[in-house]
Order: sequence, then structure tokens, then C-alpha cells
Amino acid sequence: MEQVVLQKSNLNHWVELMHGGFQVVAPSRVHGEIFFLPHAGQLESDLLCGNATLPYLPPKDIVFPQSETLFSFTRDAGDIAFSIPEKAFERLVILGIRSCDTAGIHWLDNFYLNNFRDFYYHDRRDNLTLISIACNQPMNNCFCICCEGGPFLNPEKAAFDIQLVDLDEHYLVECNSEKGKELVNLNRSLFSPPDPAMVEARDQLEKKSHTLFLHEPTSYMSTAIRRITSNSVPPEVWTELGERCFDDGGCTFVCPCCSCFGVGYSSKGETGCHYRFWDSCDYSGFTREVSGHNPRAEKGERFKRRFFHKLSYQYVKRDGRIGCVGCGRCITACPGEVGMPAVVERLRRG
Amino acid sequence: MVKNTPTICSFCSNGCGMFVRSDGKEAIGCLPMTLHPVSEGRLCHRGWNRFQNLRSFNRLSLPLVREGSNLKEVTWPEALQKTTEKISELLSRYGPQSLGVIGSPWLTNEDNYRIARFSRDILGTNHLDGSYRFSGAAALAALNQLFSGSFGSLGSIPAIAQTPTILVIGKECCRDFSPVGSRLIKAFLHGSTVILADPLCTRKEHFFKYLLPHPIQSLAAAFRDKESLPPEVSAHLFQPGLALIFLADQVDSASSLVSLLQSLSPRPPTENPLPLMIPLSRSPNLKGAWDMGIQPGEGGLTLQEMLDEESHVKGLILFGDDLLNHLPTSSMLEKFKNLEFVLVADRFFTETARMAHCVLPIPLLAETRGTMTNSEGRVQKLRPFLGPQKENRPVADILYDLSRRLGKDFPVFSEPEVRREISKNISPYTKVASESDLEEVGGILLPAPTAPLPCELPEAAEQATEENRYRLLVPNTLYAWNRNQMIHESPVLRMEYPSDRPAVRMNPLDAKELKIRMGEKVKVRSDRGETQAPVEVDENIPSKVLMLPSHFVEVVESLAGKAVRDVTTRTLFFPSLSVTVEKL
Repeated sequence: MEQVVLQKSNLNHWVELMHGGFQVVAPSRVHGEIFFLPHAGQLESDLLCGNATLPYLPPKDIVFPQSETLFSFTRDAGDIAFSIPEKAFERLVILGIRSCDTAGIHWLDNFYLNNFRDFYYHDRRDNLTLISIACNQPMNNCFCICCEGGPFLNPEKAAFDIQLVDLDEHYLVECNSEKGKELVNLNRSLFSPPDPAMVEARDQLEKKSHTLFLHEPTSYMSTAIRRITSNSVPPEVWTELGERCFDDGGCTFVCPCCSCFGVGYSSKGETGCHYRFWDSCDYSGFTREVSGHNPRAEKGERFKRRFFHKLSYQYVKRDGRIGCVGCGRCITACPGEVGMPAVVERLRRG
Repeated sequence: MVKNTPTICSFCSNGCGMFVRSDGKEAIGCLPMTLHPVSEGRLCHRGWNRFQNLRSFNRLSLPLVREGSNLKEVTWPEALQKTTEKISELLSRYGPQSLGVIGSPWLTNEDNYRIARFSRDILGTNHLDGSYRFSGAAALAALNQLFSGSFGSLGSIPAIAQTPTILVIGKECCRDFSPVGSRLIKAFLHGSTVILADPLCTRKEHFFKYLLPHPIQSLAAAFRDKESLPPEVSAHLFQPGLALIFLADQVDSASSLVSLLQSLSPRPPTENPLPLMIPLSRSPNLKGAWDMGIQPGEGGLTLQEMLDEESHVKGLILFGDDLLNHLPTSSMLEKFKNLEFVLVADRFFTETARMAHCVLPIPLLAETRGTMTNSEGRVQKLRPFLGPQKENRPVADILYDLSRRLGKDFPVFSEPEVRREISKNISPYTKVASESDLEEVGGILLPAPTAPLPCELPEAAEQATEENRYRLLVPNTLYAWNRNQMIHESPVLRMEYPSDRPAVRMNPLDAKELKIRMGEKVKVRSDRGETQAPVEVDENIPSKVLMLPSHFVEVVESLAGKAVRDVTTRTLFFPSLSVTVEKL
């Protein structure tokens, strides 16, 4: 993996160069909250540093939108014409995606590209370049350390093209793919080789960041995985946790890994469309059958299913990792205060 | 690329802050605001899926005018002309009191204020009301009586989390209103005592410490007779620092709420102030519409009275509401069918629109500017995130146009101008003229009212349940989620709220004892009537209790006979009955 150095003052210039062949999205504030938005004008530099706030909505919606039209149809004089929507983008760079969200996209790749090739996902993902930023400082809810979701990404296990490491006045730029190199090659003169002190500083930052995380989920995650895998969680624990679930679906929507969708149809007269949207295993309609029977009618059963999918070893074995990257967004989203760390802690107690 | 518009959710009365994400043509997603005082990054499943119903192809696209048994698409000038002719005809033949006007909790404060003015100044009728007459008005009327007028804010949702004792009346207040439920959980985790009062509950969740098997109507009596309560419950309830969470839609008589509050606060209010109260609703702007004057004027009729068989009302002008969905008796439907003229201004081709003489398409709340008042008394701005549909016209334009055609002058007020007028005329809304305060996340919280006045309202008697008889509860479900048009239009939400069928709900053990299987018909008999209905076995229903949702109007009527009249709100409701059940 090639490492080069970029002066922070040159970041804007580098991004300007990207505009020659790419659209660029970067974290920006809208009414005080952070979204990944098309870059225009100056970058918000405090959102691109090692201790920046995590945007509430992960950029998974760029590859897997909350809703999208799959195809439309119209009938004209007996002929039915189908059309698929225009491409959302030709080539896109996400600048400033955090480590956990990059790991989340890697997980979605596994679901949408390895099991079967989802045309819509593939079309977007193939044209996407990820410039990730390593986290020097976790936020209050972060626990990526115990989910292999950060704070620094391992080039062999993650799908980033470039990882930026914040070294005060400079970024250490770590290229992990040809797509990443293409961006560095836009103007090689902006970059310089790192001196050994910088590489040492990077390693020290990574070590230090590991000590700054929540203790509880870090130490309880393996117990929770073992208990779920061996089906040794008493049913009343799932009932109790289910009672705290509001069936709102928020945890699944803000989860960088959740990939479930539902499909809808809409038509009037001679035109219509077929679309898909984020669905949630929290919802009772998610598994209800046409007959009205619901194999997971109780909230506790749905809750168990969700965490079984996230943490059970049979999925770890199949997918290579647990279905959680430790971003902590489910803590913010859950009205019942049963986000991943609270559940893991409860499962440890049995 | 995606545009993120900060606005508020318009499903229920919580007024959660959310970003709606749109691609320039349509809404493609939602995200709760983390900085908003109500939502704090959380939404319920309705909120998270709010964008979905906006894709609907069932929107009204053009005005419709009745020709015989059909409604025909016409141009706006034709529709307005036809409407004007009909209104003029009724005015000249019968006078202004032959017309009734219906505002809506699914419209903004500004539009409701305009409708109230239009009704009063242009049509000259005092017969003005909302469909909430049958679902919510009783609670608001009771609070109005206590505070001798509009009452501002009775507490904030975030404050629930810091309250030592919380009385929740009806499980759905927690389950269906997640910002409230979220604060209950927070309070529980901090050691507060959360008490649930619900007659339709067999298993309380672990965060409720006590379960009182009473509906709101009989809670006051239970609280007065303190011996019937566990002593620990009394110790918690009658201390200062109580939060009271209830569903305004479920309060069927004003007296039941007043009695409850008086039983909780028997001493002068200065010694034991009224609890923090959040009157929730399944409609988004119940309080706002009510405060804007969508109530009968001096000598005016309530909606109940307008649709009485004897009423002299000949025409109804309805804005933004599927009224037929919310009528509690079949005689009202008959009266509605026989009206000489019905104008419906709405977004979808609803059952009510199908029966109208003229239908005018208006914008969704998602396409509208204006404010709404949530259950805390928080006034917040709606920001349109979709462009106007080609053939829709805002309520303001319709009112202006109709007035002009009727030869009257109705002012063309912009939203800020209307708010300035509201701030002058409606006392708790003084601050809404400040546009900068309204722009803030969380809007303006109306001021708390001064101390309540002593208030006595006539009470409806509760019947005792005899041995071997069942207690039939008829909860007010006229605003039930599975009857909400916006739920029907969303593919996810219509699966979450499947439609129900006319059936009585019964405990599984009772069903077993009577050898009744799911779907089998039973004869239910009360002193007032009888009916045959299938049984739905429901483990949430306690033993010796039957539940019949009030929206199955015909079944309810045949069993309950004539409804009871609440004197304060001048409307009808069905009290619980003692019944027998027999297998057919």
C-alpha cells in the first residue's frame, strides 16, 4: 500500500482537480446537522479531521438509496414501453467517509455483489471511489474497536480506496486500490513521500485511539456472540428487550450494514412504476405471510432475529464478519434505549 | 442530487423534527433531526416512512363536479363557478345558517384561521367545527373549561424524562407515540415510577411498575376511593411532580377528564399543581385547529348537531378531512347523503369526496407552508419539500376566489401576515408573529397557562359489571391508524396497520370456556340491543371484557342503542356496557 503526504492546505486544490472527472460529495452542515452533499465552494475542514463528528445518516444511501425507482412503464396503443431511471452519477468520490461507514459499504458489497449481482447497486458501486478518514478520537457512542469497523482500517479487510490519517498540518494518504492511485495521480506534485516520523506518528495515533473507546461493549461482544450462537439466551430476555423495541425501524435505517428492502408498485391509467425502499426486520409486516400468519408476530421474536443475524457465528462464518461496524447510530436512533451496546450488555448478564 | 429540507412530521400530534430528502422531483427518504427537542434523532415507523405516501397516484388531480351519479373532471373556473352558484342558492333560499363549515386537524394553523374567518365573515355562519368533535374535542373542551380559554402549553415532552411519577392512560400512548415512549423509558431507567391505566391489557411491559385496569372514565372514581388502589400507587400519584399522558382522541366526555384531574389534585392548585399533561392525538394539528377557532361560534352547531336528522343545515363545506371515516353513527351518514350540497377540498379521492357535489384538489401538508401546534403546545413551521402539483390550489386561494365570486372581499394574506393576525387575536399565540423564533429548530413553545379554575361538569354514570356478564368496551377508534389515508398510501405502513374486520375481541380463556373459535359468530346482548358478530381472540383483552372498536358503527349501534350525549361538547359517545355472550 502506497503512502504519501498531502498538506491540508492543498486539500481544496486536490478536490478541485477531481471535479475534472468526478462528482465529489463531502460532509456539510444543513441546519446544524451533517450530510454528505455535493461539494461546492469551500470544504468544511472541521468535518474532515480525525476527531470530526459522525454524520447521522451513513452514506450507504449513495449506493443503496432509501427509495429508488427500479423501472417505469407506459402503454401506448397496445405497446408497453419499459424504462429504467438515468444513472445517479457517472463517477463519484465520497470524501470524508468514516472508517465504520466504509466497513459498512464493504458489508453491503458482500450482500449485493457476491451472493448475486444487483444491477442497481453494482452500477453505482462500480463508479464509486471512497476516501476514508481514520478516527483519532471516538465519539461518545462509538464502539467500532470491537467490531472491526475502525478507528483505522486494515487495508486487507476493508474496501477503501484511500485512507486519510489526520496528522495536524498534513494528511497521510494511504492508497489501497487503482481507483485511489488514479486520484493521487491527478497531480503527483501535490503529494510528497512521508518521512519516517510521520509514519511513526500515524502508528502512535492508531495505538492511542484504541484506548479511547467505550469499555463495556468492547469486552462483552464476544460473550454476546457466544450466547446467541449457542442459543443460550433465555426467551424472557428477548421478551424484555422486545418490550423496549418500538418497531420504528430507525436502527436498521441508520445502520451502515442493514441491507433489507421491500418492493412497491404504483400505477395509474397507462403508466406506473416499480420501486424499492428500505425495509426493516423490526416491522411486523416484514415477515407476515399472505394468509395473515406471522412467524415472528411477537416483538421479542423479531428482536431476537435481528440480533441473531447481526451477531450469530453462522453469519460470521458465511460473511466474514459480524453485521455491525460499531458506529453507535442505533444508540441515537432507538427510542427504547436498546441499541447494540445495551443489548450486548444485557445478553452478557443472561 | 439530494436536497434535505428541515420540516416537521405530520402524522400525529408530536410534531417531530425531520429532514425530508428529495431529488428535486419526489421525496426519497426521511431522517429525524438529532437537534430537535421532540425527536432527538428518533422517529416512529410512520415518521421514518413518511416520504412513501407522497408517491401515490391516488392524488386528486383535477376539480370534480357531480353530474347525476358521476363526478366529472372540470376546470378550476367551472368548479368554482358551480360551487359559488350552489352556495349562493343555499344562502338566498335558507340563509347563512343553512351552511356548515368543517376545518381540519390535517391543515395548518393559518389555513384553519382563514377557514374560520371565511365562515364567519364571508358566509356569515356560526356552524363551524372539525371532525375531531368525535375524537379529541372532549379533552380540549375540558381543558378549556379548566383554564377558562385557550391553554397554551401544559408541559413539554422532554420534561417527561425528569418526572418522578408518570401516569400513562392507554398503552398506545407509549407504543404509538415514540417520542413520549422514549421519555418514559428514560424516566424508568432513571428510577421514575411509571403507572399504566388500561382496561385492555393483560401483560404490562417491564417498565410499567403498576397496571390499573381502568379506562379514563372510571379512573377518577378509583382515585377517590383510595382503598381500591394499591397503597404504593396512591403514595406516588398524589404527590407533586406527576406527568399525565393520555390520548385526547380517546376521551369521550369532558367530565371524565375534569373529574380525573380533580381527583388527582383535590387541594387548591397552588398546593398541588395540576400534572404535566400531554394530550396526544392521531391527527397532527388537533390543538392548532381548535385554537384557531374551528369550533362553533355563538349559537352555532357542533358537527354532531349539523348532522342531526332535525338539523336545518343543507350544505357542508369540508376542508382537508375524510369526514365519513370519522362519523360515529349511521344516522349522520344518512343526513350527510341527503345534504343538498357538499363541497370537499382534499388531497385524495376519499369516500367523502366520492359523495360530494364538488371536489377541489388541495396540496398535501408536504407541499404547504404554514405552522402546526403539537400536543405540547409547540408551534412549528412546515416547510414544503415538494413543488406544487399542477392542478392543486392552496386553501387560501380557494377561499379568496370563492369570496370574490360571492361578491365579498377576503384579504389575500401571506402566511406571516396571517400569523401576525393570529398573534393579535389568539392570546397564547402572541409570539408566533416572530418569524425568527419560528425559524429556530423546535419553533415556539406556547406559554403555560395560569392556575386552573374550579370546574364542575356533569358526569356520565359508569355501570357496574354483574356476575357472568361481560364488560363491553367501545374505545374511540375513529382516528385509528388503519383508517388514515396517508397510511393507506404507503406500502410499508399499510402492512403495519392492516385493516380490521367487524368483530368483538375476546380473551382466549373466555373463548375456550364458551367453546368459541376464532371467526365464529356470537350473539352479544345488552340492555339496549343485541347483535351478532364474529369473535376475534386476542390475548391482550382481559377476561370478562369484550372490545368493539367504535368505527364499526353499525355493530356498535345495534348493541349499544342510542349513544350518550356529552353536555359540554354536545356530542355523542358509547359508554362501556354490561353484556352477555352466547355462542350461535
